[in-house]
Amino acid sequence: MKKIILSIAVVLISLVSMAQKPEYYQTMGEKLGEYANCKGVTDFQALGNKFEMIANAEKAEWLPLYYHAHCYILMSFMEQDATKKDGYLDVAEKSVNKLIEMAPAEAEVFVLQSFYLTGRLVVNPMERGQEYSGLSEQAIGKALALDATNPRAQMMKIQMDMGTARFFGTDPKSFCPQAKDLLAKWDNFKPKSPLYPNWGKDQVAGIVKGCE
Amino acid sequence: MKRTVITIITFLIGLNAFSQTIIMGKVTEAGGGALPGASAYLKGTYDGATSNENGEFKFKTSKTGQLTLAVEFMGYEPFSRVLDLKGDTIRINVELKEAFNQLNAVTITAGTFEAGDKKRAVTITPLDMLTTAGAAGDVYGALQSLPGTTTNGESGRLFVKGGDSEESQTYIDGALVSVPYNSSAPNMATRGRFSPFMFKGTMFSTGGYSAEYGQALSSVLLLNTNDMPEEDQLDLSFLMVGVEAAGTKKWNSGAITGTLSYNNLKPYMSLAPQNYHWTDEPESTTGAISFRQKTSKTGMFKFYSSMDNGSFTVSQKNMDAGGKLTDYKLANDNVFMNASWNDKLGEKWAISSAASFTNNKDDIHFDQTHVVKKIQGNYLKSALSFPFSEKFILKFGGELFAKTFTQNAQISGVTHDNSFTNHTFSGFTEAQIYTSSKFVSRIGGRVEYSDYLNSFKFAPRLSTAYKITDKSQLSLAYGWFYQNPVDDYLLYTDRIKPERADHYTFSFQSSANDRTIKAELYYKDYRELVKLNGGEFYLPTSYNNSGSGYARGLDLFWRDKKSIKGGDYWISYSFVDAKRDYRNFPHEAIPSFTSKHNLSVVYKHWLGGLRSLVGMNFKYSSPRVYNDPNSTVFNGEKMLPYRSLDLSWSFLYRQNVIFYFAANNITGFKNEFGRTYASTPDVSGNYPSAAVEPSSNRFFVLGCFITLTRKGNANQLDKIE
Repeated sequence: MKKIILSIAVVLISLVSMAQKPEYYQTMGEKLGEYANCKGVTDFQALGNKFEMIANAEKAEWLPLYYHAHCYILMSFMEQDATKKDGYLDVAEKSVNKLIEMAPAEAEVFVLQSFYLTGRLVVNPMERGQEYSGLSEQAIGKALALDATNPRAQMMKIQMDMGTARFFGTDPKSFCPQAKDLLAKWDNFKPKSPLYPNWGKDQVAGIVKGCE
Repeated sequence: MKRTVITIITFLIGLNAFSQTIIMGKVTEAGGGALPGASAYLKGTYDGATSNENGEFKFKTSKTGQLTLAVEFMGYEPFSRVLDLKGDTIRINVELKEAFNQLNAVTITAGTFEAGDKKRAVTITPLDMLTTAGAAGDVYGALQSLPGTTTNGESGRLFVKGGDSEESQTYIDGALVSVPYNSSAPNMATRGRFSPFMFKGTMFSTGGYSAEYGQALSSVLLLNTNDMPEEDQLDLSFLMVGVEAAGTKKWNSGAITGTLSYNNLKPYMSLAPQNYHWTDEPESTTGAISFRQKTSKTGMFKFYSSMDNGSFTVSQKNMDAGGKLTDYKLANDNVFMNASWNDKLGEKWAISSAASFTNNKDDIHFDQTHVVKKIQGNYLKSALSFPFSEKFILKFGGELFAKTFTQNAQISGVTHDNSFTNHTFSGFTEAQIYTSSKFVSRIGGRVEYSDYLNSFKFAPRLSTAYKITDKSQLSLAYGWFYQNPVDDYLLYTDRIKPERADHYTFSFQSSANDRTIKAELYYKDYRELVKLNGGEFYLPTSYNNSGSGYARGLDLFWRDKKSIKGGDYWISYSFVDAKRDYRNFPHEAIPSFTSKHNLSVVYKHWLGGLRSLVGMNFKYSSPRVYNDPNSTVFNGEKMLPYRSLDLSWSFLYRQNVIFYFAANNITGFKNEFGRTYASTPDVSGNYPSAAVEPSSNRFFVLGCFITLTRKGNANQLDKIE
């Protein structure tokens, strides 16, 4: 019963806000749709820039900044030129830091922070491994403390645990049941609004596939 | 339902859009190159586009009236212009200026090896200091793989660019460390008092340093301690030579760490062959507390205190007693405290304050002599900096060095008491001026007044750097450097003045793709060095400042982390040409602490499958000179060259357990550091002598590091990886 009331409330609230800011909801919706068409660094940069424009126009909303940072983190993973990676992550870092101030109670923000820190680590695992894996784990810890059901936080935790296991020569497959369980329950997690982060199912599917 | 709403809304918006303005143009950087990826948009709207590979952008807007077009790109100053939107096409070409950013701007690199800041082109990181084979966990040992240093195997201390070891100073969190090395017997190598695991960043300046640092003729080493720990933890270290336990308790805005360690070389020395006979092997106990507290969002207060107690008795040949083996017995007590506070005062002012206190006592017995030496050192510093703009930063501050040195010597039943107390007050100011992101100058000066010597000195400092290309830069440094004469002279005289060295440094550095090359030419002009005029050493009139000397040379550094997968290596080479006429030299001569050619080759390789980091370090220093009183030529004898091949191996057994093995001089090169002579000739008129050997030909370390945390997965990888 409570759940139903909550869902109705959420729908009502989103409808009311949509009616107030139709352009925001429409543009955000459109831009989120463009994720699927992005193929490389250039595409994600254009999309990220668009989210930044929206963020500049909608100072109270944290989601445009979230996607702006998300795009730039993805760019750092796709970029081949190692010297450019940190430049993209510098841009993402600014937005991530702003997000932590704007929405400190959102688990998604800390999932993103962890994702950003992983990006920094990947640039130079030899030198940054120790520091950034610790920081990244802390961020995921914060995310899970805010919302233990957040599927993206759970997924990144599993990824990290499997990475550690692989490094130490123990069996990463011991985390497979967790991954399968997460995939099975993935759709039960309802984002708070249509604009909320909803990525990650493919990655979990990938992990599960790797288990077989 | 939602979809319907969106459709309706879209429809409504569509009705509004009766007129459309097209905005298009090209984004370039100064010089005309296209800038792809720049964001062009109307402020306060969602209308905008990203420039394509030719720097061109184009977008439509249904807005009318006056709106601001913004063009932004990372690393460039944002552009904005008000446009009048009337439904036609607006063409606008935008040239973006590169933004000034201190992190990307040129930095002064003459004479410096800086590490710890991920953004800067670093040459050596703190991690390197720990993983360099041959260093055996000693800060100073690791620095001896860098150019500009000469290894003196019988000392272990830092000798920089033709300078003596006393000419280098060490600072922890901005406060002077009066006694940075452990006490050792004559001609036996020592180590630094501080574990490199305490530090997160280092700056090693081998010349031309900022006006902020005085009382050092050759170099300053700045060590910055770790900030907040990540979580509560217990670190345990088991080495063949000792054990250590460190517990850390963390709270929201602060943390405290307590460390206890006990070292005893007896078990090790009974296994590994030694060149000397130890009556009592070195044994030491250390307790330390470190405390960190955030004082505000930007501020941090740090306090560190240690108490150290060590002793040993080693038998050395006493040449004044016909080479008879004689016990040299030393007991050392050291108390050190260090505090620092850094914060911002308001929007712009930044303050950094530091203080240190040292109480060091050496109690030495040798034959019929008993000497007690006490040093009490106090140091205070406060510096303020104010950025008038991003490109002009002014810094100024004051320092106090206070030192009391007392020596009580009982020689064959006769007591000699000597002591001195000196206060050196100093003030400094320095301006850092960026003419552009390519050119920076640092102009400053310091004044010093020493009450014991009644001397007032002014020292100007100047350095500049110019970025030739994105990756390469030239840097110049010039300055006067003063330092009070060594304690052993000040005990007997206050009629001498501080010694002086003028530095001229010219350096080139280039870094790209994890490869760094650095070349540095320098000239040091030593003046007003203390000289003995041949009178009795205890007479104040036996000393004057008529000494002089020079050192000139070339330092080369090459580091490559790219060419070998999983591998990382660097090569340091230094050429030094130095001569001096000082102390008891009869005329100008090469001092015994410099080697003409110095080479260090360091290699590290990560073996993923074995979860191991293996390291190798080969060192070579050409023969140094030493004086044979039997010869008519002063400093005319040559030692053997110094050679050592060192290995290290770190193995990550489990996430929180690391095994570590290191071996120095694995091939057993014969090293010898000249000879010691009797102070008086024997009946036949000869000065008898004995060779100065290292305490052992090879050195091994085997250890295990364990970290316990609540989560159970942290480790001390940063200790040795």
